[in-house]
Amino acid sequence: MTVTGTTPLRKSGKSRRSAARPAPASAPRRRRLTERQSKALAFAVLTAPMLLGLGLFRYVAIGWSFLLSFSEARRTISLGKWVGLDNYKDLLSDERFRDSLTTIVLFTALIVPVTFAASLGLAVLVNRVRRGRAFFRTAFLLPAAVSYVAAAMIWKMALFSGVPSGLANTLGALFGADATPWIQTQSPPLYWIVLVTLRLWLQVGLYMILFIAGLQSIPPHLYEAASLDGAGPWRTFRSITFPMLRNTSVAILLLMLIAALQAFDEFYAIFSTGASLGSEPVRTPLMHLYGVALQDQDYGVGSAGAFLLTLLIVLVTLLQGRILGFSRDKD
Amino acid sequence: MTASSALSRRGFLGTSLLFVAGAAVACSSNPQEAASAKGAKVTLTQWYHQYGEEGTQAAVKRYAEEFTKDNPDIAVNVVWGADTSQYETKLNAALLGADAPDVFELGDFRAEMARKGQLEPLDDVYGAAKSGFVKADLDYLTVDGKIYGMKTIDDIMMLFYRKSMLKKAGVSVPTTFAELTDAAKKLTDGDVKGLFVGNDGVGDSPYLLAWSQGKDLIDGKKVVYADAARSIGGLRDLHADKSVLLGFTTDWYDAGAFTQGATAMQWCGLWALPTVEKELGDDFGVAPWPAYDSAGKPVARLGGWTQAVNAKSKHVAEAKKYLQWLWIKQADIQIDWAVKYGFHVPPQTEVAAKTPELSKGPAKDAVTIGTKYGISFPAEWTQAMQAEFIAAASDIAKGAAPEKTLKKAQSKAQSDLDKQMG
Repeated sequence: MTVTGTTPLRKSGKSRRSAARPAPASAPRRRRLTERQSKALAFAVLTAPMLLGLGLFRYVAIGWSFLLSFSEARRTISLGKWVGLDNYKDLLSDERFRDSLTTIVLFTALIVPVTFAASLGLAVLVNRVRRGRAFFRTAFLLPAAVSYVAAAMIWKMALFSGVPSGLANTLGALFGADATPWIQTQSPPLYWIVLVTLRLWLQVGLYMILFIAGLQSIPPHLYEAASLDGAGPWRTFRSITFPMLRNTSVAILLLMLIAALQAFDEFYAIFSTGASLGSEPVRTPLMHLYGVALQDQDYGVGSAGAFLLTLLIVLVTLLQGRILGFSRDKD
Repeated sequence: MTASSALSRRGFLGTSLLFVAGAAVACSSNPQEAASAKGAKVTLTQWYHQYGEEGTQAAVKRYAEEFTKDNPDIAVNVVWGADTSQYETKLNAALLGADAPDVFELGDFRAEMARKGQLEPLDDVYGAAKSGFVKADLDYLTVDGKIYGMKTIDDIMMLFYRKSMLKKAGVSVPTTFAELTDAAKKLTDGDVKGLFVGNDGVGDSPYLLAWSQGKDLIDGKKVVYADAARSIGGLRDLHADKSVLLGFTTDWYDAGAFTQGATAMQWCGLWALPTVEKELGDDFGVAPWPAYDSAGKPVARLGGWTQAVNAKSKHVAEAKKYLQWLWIKQADIQIDWAVKYGFHVPPQTEVAAKTPELSKGPAKDAVTIGTKYGISFPAEWTQAMQAEFIAAASDIAKGAAPEKTLKKAQSKAQSDLDKQMG
């Protein structure tokens, strides 16, 4: 205000004075806003509905939930019975919740590099094909449009069902293997095959598209120069493609980390039995909290868990930012 | 800034506002208004979970319409809800909000809902008819001396077995747990497994094992299921032989695995009996879950659905009137509901006695099993207790030490129970 807007401010002062003077009806003069003011007004008017909506449905809800996490709220969402940090203590002393945290951290540590490598690899391959690029792009992206639950049902009931007619078991039978209950077998934990293939199938396409966008913004003259210098494909990838994708990679990594830490849909859909939870061999934090808050109606402990999980995500994100930087300018 | 761009911005703004306003109006128009416009003074909203049997949705709408014919002042808006696994979650969320149903179904009755003031006591709805109801049901629905629900159907869950397969394998209907594991092992042959208790290999079996050892889950204000460590420990033996069917396309509450010959024995419910009869003719029988050992007792699980009235409803009186009309007075409707869409038992003994479908063949055996051996979940049982108990049992099936695992789960359940009572 003080430094930049001197001239417009003076101008506006004048126009305000002129607006205060009663103008003859015939005069076409109107109160005119300065450009700066009108921009501010437009900004306020255009963003207000969004901000109001966000405020009301997001931040008020988040704030409410934060307060709930410090009060006893069983079968109610009204505040009042304050219990301090008891909900947090309850949850952290719960072995199953702690196990779920360990599970999700390990799961994230494994699935993120795999998804990253798979989507980057696919992007490079699809970007290189000369004919039918649009076809491959669409074919790989399509699964991203499928609902997690629908896909989980296909994986659970058609591909990896325990009956001999399931696809995996039919293929196995060709090699003389007995029908295997993929989702229920605990040692070795075959259910990870089901979960990981499902997640890759659902997610790789979307990240591939983001990588392709990044690949296409790399100036072609770099590749031309490299090929003149006699660089092979691997060298080109290592020295040009990968470094030039840095910003894209950092952003995608962030999305992948958050998506992995929030895993719920396919785990729940694969393991749910129709009754409440309990018999699933692995449980993610969100599954545990779904059970606590929505099935057992303990909204206090449920909210506490939501904040613990948020804290975990924030920490991981900050750690990533610390190591890789968020999105540095090319220098 | 040119005039045209200002205008188009203003135009854009106007359009957006119109859109928002339109959306708001669209969202606020209530589907209930349509029903009440027909002339009824009060419109009750009633929630059902999604029954799997064909014709059930049309049936409950028909019952509601017949009620409105008799009581033109009250219309009923029937809401056909989510399937069993999601229904309770959705109902619980709805009960916290402004659009809560006035009358609704409950699968597992939760005493906690009554204690938290979510349910209206129904003693006056029962009135003199109370003595005609099955006593076990009334006990189940009674919290601190008042009855908070009305059973619409009783379900009996029991063991179905294929007579021909048992004969071929040379085994008889098991009467102890040792016999059950042995039979399951002998009945397993190639693609046919011996026993199906659920896709997770656990299902209701931990409850059945505990009860069949003569132990209960909750005794007064104490959670006591760790006493059943010995029988629940049997889960491990059951799984060791790979004679239990896992990961079928439908779960235990559907007779699919049994009728398609994927398993020789299945834990399922009376509701599936007509389907099984249609598919297998008389090549099947029903039995209770066997006694754990000679000191135990055979058991069956009693379930079913309960109607309850929302204590915060604005139309409690009308809702009660509706329940009384439908589930106490209309014997014909009760029989229709009980046996036309899968088999269930009407909770009024006199009505059950008048139901011809339940007086012959395996259905009759099932009713006898239910009356003799049937046990319900304790009303204080919650989803958290269930999840913890089933998780412990699953760990035991995998090889965890039964006593220690159950004790740990039990102490958590105890603190849940203390919170609930306190």
